[in-house]
Amino acid sequence: MKRPPRILGLVRGSSYDALTEQHSKAEARAGRLAQQLEETKADSRGWKGKTEEATSALKKAQDAAATAQKQLRQAEKQRDEQSRNARKLKDESDKLRKLQEARAAELALLKQRLAESERDLIVAREQLMAIEVKLDILEGAANVLDGRTRDIATRRSGGVGTESGSAV
Amino acid sequence: MAALSDAGIGTPARSPALSIVLTGRNDDHGVDFRTRFFRTLRFNAEQLAAQGIAHEFVFVEWAPPPERPRLVDLVFDAVPGLEPGRCAWYVVDGRYHQALSLNPRLAYHEFIAKNVGIRRARGRFVLTSNCDVFLGRAVLDVFASGRLEPRLVYRAQRYDLKENVGEEGVAWADLEDPQNLARPPRALTLPFMAGATGDFLLVDRESLHQVRGFNEIYRAARFGIDRNFLVKAISSGLSIVDIGGPVYHVDHTGSYHLTADEYAGREHEAPWGNRGWHSRGVSYVNPPTWGLQHAPTQRVAPGQWHLDFSWDAVPPMVDLKGVVLPASRVGRPSPGRYTATRAPARSR
Repeated sequence: MKRPPRILGLVRGSSYDALTEQHSKAEARAGRLAQQLEETKADSRGWKGKTEEATSALKKAQDAAATAQKQLRQAEKQRDEQSRNARKLKDESDKLRKLQEARAAELALLKQRLAESERDLIVAREQLMAIEVKLDILEGAANVLDGRTRDIATRRSGGVGTESGSAV
Repeated sequence: MAALSDAGIGTPARSPALSIVLTGRNDDHGVDFRTRFFRTLRFNAEQLAAQGIAHEFVFVEWAPPPERPRLVDLVFDAVPGLEPGRCAWYVVDGRYHQALSLNPRLAYHEFIAKNVGIRRARGRFVLTSNCDVFLGRAVLDVFASGRLEPRLVYRAQRYDLKENVGEEGVAWADLEDPQNLARPPRALTLPFMAGATGDFLLVDRESLHQVRGFNEIYRAARFGIDRNFLVKAISSGLSIVDIGGPVYHVDHTGSYHLTADEYAGREHEAPWGNRGWHSRGVSYVNPPTWGLQHAPTQRVAPGQWHLDFSWDAVPPMVDLKGVVLPASRVGRPSPGRYTATRAPARSR
């Protein structure tokens, strides 16, 4: 028999079967592909969530980094300030130490002068004590001699003796 | 060292171990002086004899009033137990008092009188005390045991007893009864251990001669001369120690404790002179003739002498070189602080 003309839309049975089989296979393949597509879509959705999570985590990390950066800058600023303060304090400390050394030297000198003054004062007081005792003696002697002189003068003039009457 | 016993030393006529130098006169000093003196002398003589302590009493009757009997003429009747052989009695012509005077208000040169006794004492140790001071039990024990050392000035606390104590005779119970204390005793404190110093000063005779007795240069006050001796002693390298027990004194009218306030505000009129003189701040150098060395001495009876007056025996009225500063010694106390207590000008 002769081959049906294709222009009539007619195929031979074997071709039809082959085509049917191909159609089935294609449908199966399309089904598989649809399934794969769905799986891929689901995967895609999972990856998208993960991407969002990662993005969020990244943003948090970036925020934390920014915060840390900011803190770091603040710390550096504080460090610089503390360094300046430390230098200032050190300078002041050096000044005070030098002043203290100067004062200590001055104090030692003053102590030495005080000790010398105390010694001088003790010597002066001792001398003063001796002088006052000597003055007592001289004053006593003068009084006694005065009394004796008055007695003698009174006796010579024939008058009455003085109260002390200490002439010998 | 050997005990101060008769057995160890020999008879007192030779060389007693202990001389007790006292001075006084029959002038009713402190009211009823004779009674107080005799009862004290009786007690002390009895106790010294009871302990067998070789001793002599060296008594200086300073410028006795001519109108009254002298103590030397009364004492052996008043104190029958007193052995004349244990007594050396010196009566000092009254003109010495006037010749030595630098303050007419001082009626008695107590410490120059004591110097007269010290100078003539023969004991190895010499105690200068006062006529109304009872020796304490511990003091007698030290004498008896001979625990005395040279180069030491021994001091004793004085316990002042109430005025009525001992009126009927004195016994240990009277002296040692705390109820009889007139006031709490003053503690002896270093460095000088002063306080009633004139009532008990015991030193070996050699040291006493080395320091030449009490101050004879400053004769304007009677007060503080005894303390001044302590300054001199320390300055001379002697040490001052507490003998370990008290002596006793019965308060009486005229006691310094009872009369000091009477002269408040007019201290320069007090019979003891200026209390504020620098007795703790200065020392002295007596002339080598201290204690009226050159006074003509007339023996009037065994154990009794009279020191006749002679200007040769009188030290210079003013001897300013004899006023010196105490020597500083390592580890020794420094002289007393200066105090501006000089009395106002003293008029006669």
